[in-house]
Amino acid sequence: MAEARVAARWAGAGYYALLALFLYMPIFLLIVFSFNDSVILAFPLKGFTLEWYHELLQAEELLASIKNSLLVGFLASAVSLALGTLAAIAIMRFRFRGRDTFLSFASLPLVIPYVVLGVALLILFSALGIDLYLWTVAIGHVVINVPYVMLIVAARLAGFQANLEEAAMDLGATYWVTLTKVTLPLSAPALVAAFLSSFTTSFDEFTLAFFLAGTQNTLPVYLYSQLRFPSRLPLAVSLAAVVMVVSILILLLSEWLRRIGAGASKTKGIK
Amino acid sequence: MRNGPLFRLGIVIVLGLTLAGCGGTTVAQNTELILLEWSGYELPEFWEPFEAQHPEIEPKYSFFAEDTEAFSKAQSGFEFDLIHPCSSYWKLYVDAGLVQPIDTSRLSNWSGVYESLASQGNFDGQQFFIPWEWGYESILVRTDLVEEVPTSWADLWDPQYAGHVAVFDSGESNFVMAASVLGIDPYAATPEQVEQVKQKLLELKPNLLTYWTDYTEINQLVAQGDVWLAGQAWNDAYAALYDEGYEVEYLNPEEGRLGWLCGFGISANSANVDLAYDYINAALDAQSMANMGNAYYYGVANADAVPLLDPYFVELMEMGDPSILNDTVFYQSLTDEQRELFATIWSEVKAGQ
Amino acid sequence: MFLLSPPALTLLVFFFVPLVIMASYTVREGTFGVASRTFSLDSFRTLTENPGFLRLLKDSMVLSLQTSFFAILLAYPVAYFLVFHAGKRRMSLLTLLIVPAWTSYLLRILAWKLILGSNGVLNYTLLNLGWIDEGVPIFLYSRTAVLITLVYVWVPFAALPIFSSLERIQRHLLEAASDLGAKPWESFLRVTLPLSFPGILAAFFFVSIPTVGEWVTPTLVGGVDGIMYGNLIQDQFSRALNWPMGALLSMVLLVIVLVAVMVFNRFVNITEVGAYG
Repeated sequence: MAEARVAARWAGAGYYALLALFLYMPIFLLIVFSFNDSVILAFPLKGFTLEWYHELLQAEELLASIKNSLLVGFLASAVSLALGTLAAIAIMRFRFRGRDTFLSFASLPLVIPYVVLGVALLILFSALGIDLYLWTVAIGHVVINVPYVMLIVAARLAGFQANLEEAAMDLGATYWVTLTKVTLPLSAPALVAAFLSSFTTSFDEFTLAFFLAGTQNTLPVYLYSQLRFPSRLPLAVSLAAVVMVVSILILLLSEWLRRIGAGASKTKGIK
Repeated sequence: MRNGPLFRLGIVIVLGLTLAGCGGTTVAQNTELILLEWSGYELPEFWEPFEAQHPEIEPKYSFFAEDTEAFSKAQSGFEFDLIHPCSSYWKLYVDAGLVQPIDTSRLSNWSGVYESLASQGNFDGQQFFIPWEWGYESILVRTDLVEEVPTSWADLWDPQYAGHVAVFDSGESNFVMAASVLGIDPYAATPEQVEQVKQKLLELKPNLLTYWTDYTEINQLVAQGDVWLAGQAWNDAYAALYDEGYEVEYLNPEEGRLGWLCGFGISANSANVDLAYDYINAALDAQSMANMGNAYYYGVANADAVPLLDPYFVELMEMGDPSILNDTVFYQSLTDEQRELFATIWSEVKAGQ
Repeated sequence: MFLLSPPALTLLVFFFVPLVIMASYTVREGTFGVASRTFSLDSFRTLTENPGFLRLLKDSMVLSLQTSFFAILLAYPVAYFLVFHAGKRRMSLLTLLIVPAWTSYLLRILAWKLILGSNGVLNYTLLNLGWIDEGVPIFLYSRTAVLITLVYVWVPFAALPIFSSLERIQRHLLEAASDLGAKPWESFLRVTLPLSFPGILAAFFFVSIPTVGEWVTPTLVGGVDGIMYGNLIQDQFSRALNWPMGALLSMVLLVIVLVAVMVFNRFVNITEVGAYG
């Protein structure tokens, strides 16, 4: 049995590595091309240059757009996480009329073409006299992210039985205590996954951001419009390389912190 | 959901927001400048004198990547002072009352602007748009990959290039191109002629590898050798590939090169008209304009800028010869019906078999 | 019920209201000005006169089912490995799979073309190995290219819900199964797989619903034959400025999805499946 387990483990690790390679191959090429002395993204490579990184440091609009995108990403993901989790708890833990209808309806933002939602929200905002700013983009992103969060969290809630929560309440816990001490901690992995998914969608979303952004441009809006000028492409490529390397470094750092944390609080293990 | 109170609460909130929005605000004049602009044109060297004149004002940009995006954003109530669409859309802005007439006597750099370009921004005797930059649309050929270099737009249909042709994903551009191949006036086509153009475009599909949508994409397609003939390619695509040492040629097709022109208009609702004039004038400045031309290889609207252009670029694109403007078939300003017709035909062609 | 009100209210104001505005466009003559205030059934007529439009809708639905199938197939083993064999590092390893998606989608696709194009990495390798004589853009500009690219995009997202549903399977259940003499594959088929079904279902919704309306990928790698229904809709809004037509095409898609989700939900209740395995 143990041998089979070890074999399964290696097979799994091998498969993981293959998939990661598949996902990272384009990224790797982008990093290579960010040092290529050519404005065109094509083989053969022309020569080594740091010029694009040098230009990147001076592109103020670009740097401002990164800041905007991070802001929108965090704001939209936090709000979607809260709303989507509430919706998931409601549909999983309560029986009410129109529950199926709500579920179907709440899934619709998944399919609505973003351009339709973007234009329609723009009309709504201008009818209401709301000025466009970054938070209007965030609203658009919340609408499209709530169903994702709801689905991820609901799939997790389906797993542990409601009687765990009932037990807590039988023991005298109020609903809020049950929610914060039982339901949410048990859903933690799903909450992290949902936040990741929301942030990822928001960070690279172009269409809604375009229609709802006012004069504060997000990164995708800035990048996509840059593609009109071939000579601006290398800047976008080198930026992608930077974003990627920084993300991976952050990930490694958090893994390292987790290990340190785990080492310090070994006795406190919950699971 | 049987949530009466909840539903009513929602209505109250919506109404509240509506009422709050109706309050209306008075805007101070000439305190800021908002541009609906292509990204890449925000670089300060393209409007240098404005910065010297108004150091306290930092222009704010809302970027767009296609004319239609800018038009629908403007139509949906987005507030801006200056907008930079291309000539096909100019009449639509004028008809929709989105822009105001411009008093060219307030622009000290106006005198150098080519008359043939200026007239395209003039509607019913009033100047609504100030031309700024223009460019060609023609066929870009990888001469090392084709056996025979084409000579006309009609050659895009030649089976020897099957699977290696790409055209711009634009209804207007392809309609005008196919119509000129058939000898039809695209802006006055009868319903039968429209049908002919549509059939002609359907016949092109077997030769096409893909429709290209942006310049980065077409450059990559040509550089990789996937596409041999790139239809409706612009000056800068040619210049970029030529500079990189690819064996490319930029045709002067028998039917003529197509040409596009873009320029500035002032919003009908702008509260910052004085700043808008100063910005346009700064952009028209010979040096600003030459900076743009040298950066992106586009034609300049101000003749005074030509001597300041890179001689290499002037020679490559024949910019020193004013007659090129007359030989180029510029897109005309569209009516709403024409715009919709071109778009509908193109959708049907793309969905057709 | 107070739990539901914030999300319900948000969706009501910022989704339902815009949706109604859009629906009202289907019976207008034009997008702006006077035409936008004139009643017309023109777009319905155009739809019925162009069978190509609905053919694309069917193609898009098939594509979306294929995409979700392959994405789940590829994602499941990874989620399984992470949950049962990756130990404490599993969260970081999962994130590592998501990180590539933080790079602009457009740039990632341009990079794919570097791999698959005529002069790309794949052709270069095959040419040098002597397997092919001439560089051809393999797998590009076709419907297959769209499918491959979509699967590439969605695998990490499909892994998320599967991961979180596998996470909650209590190890002692599996241990119990194995104590009772179940072979590993038996306990997988009879315990693990059924218990992870809500995750698979969520992944299915997750992937299939947005891909029906997908348009960016077909634009970039689909070529002439890979055009999808989403491209039609996008064209109406972003290029043709024919909102009535675009609104109608979107509404058709929305109604189909709505019905599909409701029917699906009737037969396989996402909220009950798996809870008692």
